[in-house]
Amino acid sequence: MKHISIFVAVFCFCFVASAQNFSLSGTVVDQDQNMPLLGATVLVKGTQNGVTTDFDGNFKIDEVSVNDILVVSYVGFVSSEMRITSQDNVTISLTPDVDSLEEVLIVGYGTQRKKEITGAVSVISSETIEDLKPTRIEQALQGQVAGVQITPSSGAPGSGLDIKIRGIATNGDSRPLILLDGNVIEDLSVVNPSDIESINVLKDATAGIYGVRAANGVILITTKSGSYESDIKFDFKSYYGIQETTRKIPVLNATEYAGLVNEARINNGEAPFFNNVGSLGQGTNWQNEVFESAPISNADITVSGGTENGRTSFSASYLTQDGIVGGDKANFNRFTSRLSHDRKILKKIEFNSSLLFSGIERKSLSENSLGSVLYNALNNAPTFTVRDQAGNYTLAEGLGNEVINPLAQMENTINKTRVRKLSGSFSANYKFLEHFKIESRIQANYAEVFGFSYTPVAFYGSGKVFNIDTDRDIISESANIFRDYTFDTFANYNNTFNDTHKLDVTLGTSVFQTTGRFTGFTGINVPGTTGIDVDIQDAEIVTNNFQNGGNTFDARLLSYFARVQYDYKGKYLFSGVMRRDGSTKFGPSNKFGYFPSASAGWIVSEEGFLNDSNTFDFLKIRTSYGILGNDRIRDFGFESLLNGEGAYVFDDELIIGTAIGGLSNPEIRWEKQYTFDVGLDAKFFDNKLDVSLDYFNRRTEDLLITPQTSGILGGNAPGSGAPTVNAGSVENTGLELSLSYRKTVSEDFKYNFSFNATALKNEVLEVNGEASFLQGGSFGIGQEAPARMEAGLPIGYFRGYQTDGVFQNQGEIDAHASQSNAQPGDLRFKDTNGDGVITNDDKTYLGDPIADATFGLNLGFTYKNIDFLAYVFSSVGNEIVRNYERFQPLTNRSTIYLDRWTGPGTSNDTPRVTTGATQNNQFSDFFVEDGSFVRLQNVQVGYTLSDSFLEDYKINELRFYVSASNLVTLTKYTGYDPTGSTGQPIGGGIDYGFYPTPKTYLFGLQLKF
Amino acid sequence: MRYTYKALLFFGLASTLLLSCSDDFVNVNSEDENSENFFNTEEDYQNALIGAYDLLQSSYLNVMLGEIASDNTLAGGESATDVPGIQEIDDMIHTPINDQLRDIWNWMYGGVNRANYILEFKDKIDFPNKANVLGQATFLRAYYYFELVKFFGDVPLAVDQRLLFGDQNTVDRTPAAEVYAQIELDLIYAADNLPLTQTQTGRVTKGAAQALLGKVYLYQNKFALAAPVLDDVISSGVYDLVTDYSTIFENDNENNVESVFEIQYTDVEGAGFGCLQCSEGNVAVGFNGPRNFNGPLFESGFSFNVPTQEVFDAFDQDDVRRDLAILDIEAFADAYSDFNNGAGVTYTEGFEHTGYFNRKYIPRVGDTNIGDQNLTNPNNYRAIRFADVLLMGAEAHNQGDGNDALAREYLNRVRERTTLSDVNASGSALTQAIYNERRLELVGEGHHFFDLVRTGRAAQEIEGFTAGKNELFPIPLVEIQLAGNRWSQNPGY
Repeated sequence: MKHISIFVAVFCFCFVASAQNFSLSGTVVDQDQNMPLLGATVLVKGTQNGVTTDFDGNFKIDEVSVNDILVVSYVGFVSSEMRITSQDNVTISLTPDVDSLEEVLIVGYGTQRKKEITGAVSVISSETIEDLKPTRIEQALQGQVAGVQITPSSGAPGSGLDIKIRGIATNGDSRPLILLDGNVIEDLSVVNPSDIESINVLKDATAGIYGVRAANGVILITTKSGSYESDIKFDFKSYYGIQETTRKIPVLNATEYAGLVNEARINNGEAPFFNNVGSLGQGTNWQNEVFESAPISNADITVSGGTENGRTSFSASYLTQDGIVGGDKANFNRFTSRLSHDRKILKKIEFNSSLLFSGIERKSLSENSLGSVLYNALNNAPTFTVRDQAGNYTLAEGLGNEVINPLAQMENTINKTRVRKLSGSFSANYKFLEHFKIESRIQANYAEVFGFSYTPVAFYGSGKVFNIDTDRDIISESANIFRDYTFDTFANYNNTFNDTHKLDVTLGTSVFQTTGRFTGFTGINVPGTTGIDVDIQDAEIVTNNFQNGGNTFDARLLSYFARVQYDYKGKYLFSGVMRRDGSTKFGPSNKFGYFPSASAGWIVSEEGFLNDSNTFDFLKIRTSYGILGNDRIRDFGFESLLNGEGAYVFDDELIIGTAIGGLSNPEIRWEKQYTFDVGLDAKFFDNKLDVSLDYFNRRTEDLLITPQTSGILGGNAPGSGAPTVNAGSVENTGLELSLSYRKTVSEDFKYNFSFNATALKNEVLEVNGEASFLQGGSFGIGQEAPARMEAGLPIGYFRGYQTDGVFQNQGEIDAHASQSNAQPGDLRFKDTNGDGVITNDDKTYLGDPIADATFGLNLGFTYKNIDFLAYVFSSVGNEIVRNYERFQPLTNRSTIYLDRWTGPGTSNDTPRVTTGATQNNQFSDFFVEDGSFVRLQNVQVGYTLSDSFLEDYKINELRFYVSASNLVTLTKYTGYDPTGSTGQPIGGGIDYGFYPTPKTYLFGLQLKF
Repeated sequence: MRYTYKALLFFGLASTLLLSCSDDFVNVNSEDENSENFFNTEEDYQNALIGAYDLLQSSYLNVMLGEIASDNTLAGGESATDVPGIQEIDDMIHTPINDQLRDIWNWMYGGVNRANYILEFKDKIDFPNKANVLGQATFLRAYYYFELVKFFGDVPLAVDQRLLFGDQNTVDRTPAAEVYAQIELDLIYAADNLPLTQTQTGRVTKGAAQALLGKVYLYQNKFALAAPVLDDVISSGVYDLVTDYSTIFENDNENNVESVFEIQYTDVEGAGFGCLQCSEGNVAVGFNGPRNFNGPLFESGFSFNVPTQEVFDAFDQDDVRRDLAILDIEAFADAYSDFNNGAGVTYTEGFEHTGYFNRKYIPRVGDTNIGDQNLTNPNNYRAIRFADVLLMGAEAHNQGDGNDALAREYLNRVRERTTLSDVNASGSALTQAIYNERRLELVGEGHHFFDLVRTGRAAQEIEGFTAGKNELFPIPLVEIQLAGNRWSQNPGY
């Protein structure tokens, strides 16, 4: 090989030498930053004649002639070609290429060129985050990455989002491991999204380098840092917007409502309740009363710069967002400040540091539950006014014990959480002996979380469970402290032998410890005060919420890992990882475990037979397999602790004693996931089209479940609980496709689009718990839990009666299997087991909350100074349970009931209304709806002022934009928002009156100088 | 060579760093004490004892079902589907799938395990009050087992050891007779080791242990053994009847002279439906209260456990106890028509509304009622009243040694408090009189179903009761499954 290259070089030299030659000088710069690029390669096309740029980006290349083409390339930039037209100095600017194969990705304890990665890794860049302007980082992942599903648990400001990577692999905690600059982070609300440089998602066995914590996938978030040798730059961004609800659920107006109330009573042989139906008019629309337009605004500034040996970046941001329900009562505000500084010491040592402070204040209302504000708005009678003639809030009399006036409820809700968090990460690396590097880093978090709530004396109506009697107002305060640190040390050896064998070996250790302490007190009767200025000190009775103990935790992880990466001629890639983890979560016999994983790749496009292909610019086939773990279970499940509740009354006083807490199981060990992936990455049409395709199979065994346990063990005593056991298995199989295409049509017009799709199948293979299933979620009041985990079906599927229309007449009832209380107009339940009687055993699969497929689509173009983008995402084949109707004789109903059964032939979908005993409100597919949707997540139009205008003001860039989020959602679902779910593996997808994710209109500007 | 040397040095340094952390790092002790290293001081025993008492509070459900299963009351509630487990028991159509029966099973075993936890470590240290502590613990174990054996018959028996995870796969149902034998042993031990009075109200006394022992004997028709132990309680001089029947169940007359054993409740701590057994209040009281009630003296509840017309009519019209035991809501509303500036008393009729409520155990006004007011009522449950002891003594003598004179004396002592005349009957007529008196005196207190069963009268008195089946409740099906599907179900289920 070597000989051939020399021969070619000599040959070319001879050939080139024959033309009229001269030397050309020039500079290579970064187009975006106008910074010189050091070490860029300048090559005369078709020759071996090449040089690299010096420190100032300058080069001088000899033996060139007019019409020669210079090929300029640099890692992380799009290569550029330039025809030589004269002997004058040239400046060649390169555009950064975020999707470039040369891009370096962080893969855990090291980096790797994207080209050489053998795992399924997806990247979200800071551009996507800038486009979407999320208030939380998770929103930037929504619809962006194949295989990653993001579901908001609520649309209320500051609410969390649930992240699932490649399906639900466990019935327990299925959140991925998230590391921010190597620092474990559980609550992403504290992070300002514009501080993020990139988000890398490790979806397959490559995550195995994180061992016992990797089974749910790993998300690596990198924050921005400054650039060496750059001027000070200011980057200022700000927006202001208005949020509105995406939808109001159509419910009956006062006239329709009164008519149905009367009809329901008449159907049960009772006298009508309203005698004035005709005069009631529209009545109160409670949803109009609780929803409002709410402002949101954000400002952040970043200052960065660097010298030869140091670079610094500082940023600060402030966000404030009111709620579309509750306004200021649901306000979220966040202040963040970040400082990062990196320094090269001597030539071989680099020191990196960053410090992040976040302060959050969040107020919240009761949401997504029975008795939440929206639940009350939907169920309260439209015949009631908001306030009575005396100006007091009306009482929701007659609507059962749970439904109350939602405005009175909001006024009486005083609920606040304050978070103060400081995170730091420091690392140093030392390069020596050419091929060696050793790196040590410590990352630490400290957070204080303060909670405050006050429930004043209130009367909402007779028998309401929310009534607070005189002198029984409740105040509660909590102060929780969380600390953790991660200390990593690893050494790396990297060498290439004979230009063909490239070897990269990493050995390391990681130590992680998280500790915390909870304190909380509840006080009763704070005399003489109302409102927010109450103090628990003044309360008559104060109780310690942690009188039984259980208020501290200390979980640790001790890990060793080794990774070997080898490639042969850059064509055949291999990687193997072994990790040993010790976790405090497990007892002495199961404390340590080994997690091996391996992956391989073949860059087919490097092979001779594809070298000349016009189709492929790049083609890589890769596969991975590994065993990963999950240790997200409660601490000390393997030993019996005295943190149960033992309290009794002697001498008329409550005395606190001692009792055993949760039952222990000394045998518990981690969940094991066997994960397989095969995929390909390809580039077509001059690198304009990128395609990635993956098939995966993840089988989790030894699921850590907390099944119902025999009562004779005493686990149902106060403060106790069932033990955690390893019993069960779940499988996720799926296909992922990502496409992206970008084209520069002319200097003025560029466009791009990207598309991703995920198809997923989830199946529970085995549950060893009680009667082979686990239950979760709730429906109505006092009904069996509707969601189950059971072998052969998707995890968390909905189980209830299958309906088969509505009984039209008595004859149909007589002909049908015996169904208790059935009358004409009632739902007909299928006798699925054919035993002639409708019983609990006839309940069957009614759907599941897991989407069969999800899609994301981004479109963007720039034309001259105008830019446009649109992000769309979609979910198909997931079901939602409608569970926000109370069904009391006097509560309001959805307009679905306008099409109810009123006599033979009137309806075969919606049952009659009645106050009598009926099974119509038992959980059946009448309450299960198709939750598929397509959502226009974001549209944005921006205008960037032209350079000529700005130069006078020394401004690099000034852009204005308008953007709209959640503008349109196409769905058949009749509830507020099909995108929401609690995300619980068993019990997700049940809508208790979901706080919808708002529709937001923003106006903003970005300024760089 | 130089290269190799440097490389070796590097790997040496690196491995030192890498391995510097010992495996001990992941051995952590919780700040919460380990249950196996406990019982090092008297205080530890006393604290664990409080934990064992705690489950007494969850027996509110046993008391409710003791009435609802009988002919005294109907299930009530909001609708026919409000707590189906309770509705089914009322109608005697209950099956092995019943959440409430499972609760009783689970909660009573919670108590058994907590009492056994203390007794498992009874020999660890010595201290002056040890006999008293162990006496209370054995009483509690007996109390919980008596509830289990009453409801379920043969139940797994554990003595002086907890049932630990894994044991559910091997332990069998112990024949009821053996369970009773252990209960007797425990109560004899408790009676021998407990003082007649305790320094704190609410603690088990010698009298409580003897009274419960007498009751346990009665349940086995061991009248000859029951009589002397009940006589002992009666002649102890510690207990007497409260003169005014109307005051017995009021919250300002708790732990009165008539209370031989009283389960203590308080309203100072909140509670939720998610953990009813965690409530420090009497949950039954909220369940029994009139629905959406707004009026004087009482507070609102969930309208369960409503007395039937039949039990109301069983009282002699002149019996002062009738209107004190059973609230006639219409009569009450009439009497307080001027309430709330003339708006009068308001309430909602629940399911199976009879117009009557269990006045002994419905919410009173003036409670602290912290948290959910329906779950945190402070009304103590008078588990064993002196009147109950007298009637049991009467029954024991009437059926045992045939000392009808003493039996009549005991019976008439209970009747004297009412305006009713003395009973002069003897033999089986006296037996019937005692049965009748038990029903009326103790109506609403959760005894009637079990009295009917143990005296063989259930099938004739309770509609839907199947002899040979309904004497016992079914073992919850899921509990059989969770114990490895090895246990047989009770007959008929």
